[in-house]
Amino acid sequence: MLLSVGQLIPPNSDIGMILQALFSISFIIYLFYAQRIQSMTMLRQVEVTLRKVKAIRDEGRRVSIQTVREVGKPEGDPTPDVERFMEHFFIQPVDLDPAGIVGKLGQLLNVRENTFEAEVRAMAPSASESEANNLENLLEASQALNIYYKVIRHFYLLGKKTMNLYIIMQIHMILPMLMREIEAYSAALQAFREGMPIGDGVGSLTAARLMRGHPWKEVAKDMVAAEVMMKGRTLLVTKAKGPGGNVGKPGDAVENLLNERKGKVKAIIMIDAAGKLEGEPTGGVAEGVGAAIGGIGVEKYKIEGAAKAHDVPLYAVVIKEDISNVVAPMVEPLFDATERAMESVGRLVDEWTEEGDTVIVAGIGNTVGIGQ
Amino acid sequence: MGERGGTAYPSMSLSWMTLLVVVAIGVFSLVSLYLGFQAYGSDNPEHASYYIIIGTAGFAAMGYMFFRTKAISTTRLKVPKVDVVTTLECPKCGLKRIREFKRGDYVFKDDEPCTRCDGQMVILRIHRREDEKAKR
Repeated sequence: MLLSVGQLIPPNSDIGMILQALFSISFIIYLFYAQRIQSMTMLRQVEVTLRKVKAIRDEGRRVSIQTVREVGKPEGDPTPDVERFMEHFFIQPVDLDPAGIVGKLGQLLNVRENTFEAEVRAMAPSASESEANNLENLLEASQALNIYYKVIRHFYLLGKKTMNLYIIMQIHMILPMLMREIEAYSAALQAFREGMPIGDGVGSLTAARLMRGHPWKEVAKDMVAAEVMMKGRTLLVTKAKGPGGNVGKPGDAVENLLNERKGKVKAIIMIDAAGKLEGEPTGGVAEGVGAAIGGIGVEKYKIEGAAKAHDVPLYAVVIKEDISNVVAPMVEPLFDATERAMESVGRLVDEWTEEGDTVIVAGIGNTVGIGQ
Repeated sequence: MGERGGTAYPSMSLSWMTLLVVVAIGVFSLVSLYLGFQAYGSDNPEHASYYIIIGTAGFAAMGYMFFRTKAISTTRLKVPKVDVVTTLECPKCGLKRIREFKRGDYVFKDDEPCTRCDGQMVILRIHRREDEKAKR
């Protein structure tokens, strides 16, 4: 293009010749340095994003330290403890021989959970159980933000050092998706700091609405359940114990409830939040089959195993939401969707069970800001 | 990216060298444009277009540089906070009240006493206040 522009200017004068020479030089420079120019432009964009991510990461750190001080009332400065927590890591078990990997993963996750609980308890001795749970979630959000920042910075610095287009492109291409996740985590800081219900808790909230006013008991670690009568059926509604930030162990709860009833359960209905596709409305409710539960897969494995062992069908009700809603304070359409999710549960109960049957209803998700 | 205390941080300030280059391009472009308009009335009107091309290209380059710098320096770095509201209802008389969320609020919490009867208000909803801009 530069050449064709250059040809428009006839070199029949001094200035014309100069311009012609300039255009030719520009063309030659572009011929050899186009990739470098492209790399520099992309690096610049990564740099701008990195700056934003750093600000969010720093805010996470600041909010965590401030909340530990306010809620936990520690004797000393909690900053080193918070910084140490933010650098905590998790090593996945070896998968060369996958047999039994879920058990190993579950054991490691339990160790991680116990370590986090002990760390938070030491950091914030005055925090109540709910506050400690929220604090743990807040610190985990800060930890995630720290990892995002460090990974983006790693690719940025490596790209700058090597000026390798393919290293820079790797991070540049996924930046928009990463930013959506980072912004979601930044919204989580406010939610966990204050103990507000989050989008992920919509399944828990539906279960809480079903079991409200009924006596509940603990059926597994951090899991509660209540017997609720609906259309002549007995619903065993279970959810994580709130109102502190907690996802509980739904796998253990379902397993224990099935064993308690000696497998005499007609159906298991799981309610959870699900990622929506672009174009789908937030708060849309859909019904399906299978274990509606996210995470690494340990709890899902337990539920599927227990359902198979007792030959109980698994039904799922999901409430659609965007990734930006998952850990952010709950939006009104999600709150309203719980009503439709309850109707879906009623319809499934009606269709697939008979009067006198027992049904397990499991509300999955983080129960921060939701009681029972 | 500069190094501070062993950790790398992105450095974004406009360097003096860049500023000097921008000023030099600006002066050069201004002179070119001036010469271009002068050339229109002179004996060599064909030179006018050359000067004007150089001048406008210079200003375009300057504008691009300023645009890039502005995009970086004015990027909002504050983490946005959302408005969250709590809806309370008295199970006895049905009185509803909406207020700002307070730390310690949770769904189904028995909260403050009812102002109309002797009942206890219960928190039934906690959610984000709808964004007026988004509604429009």
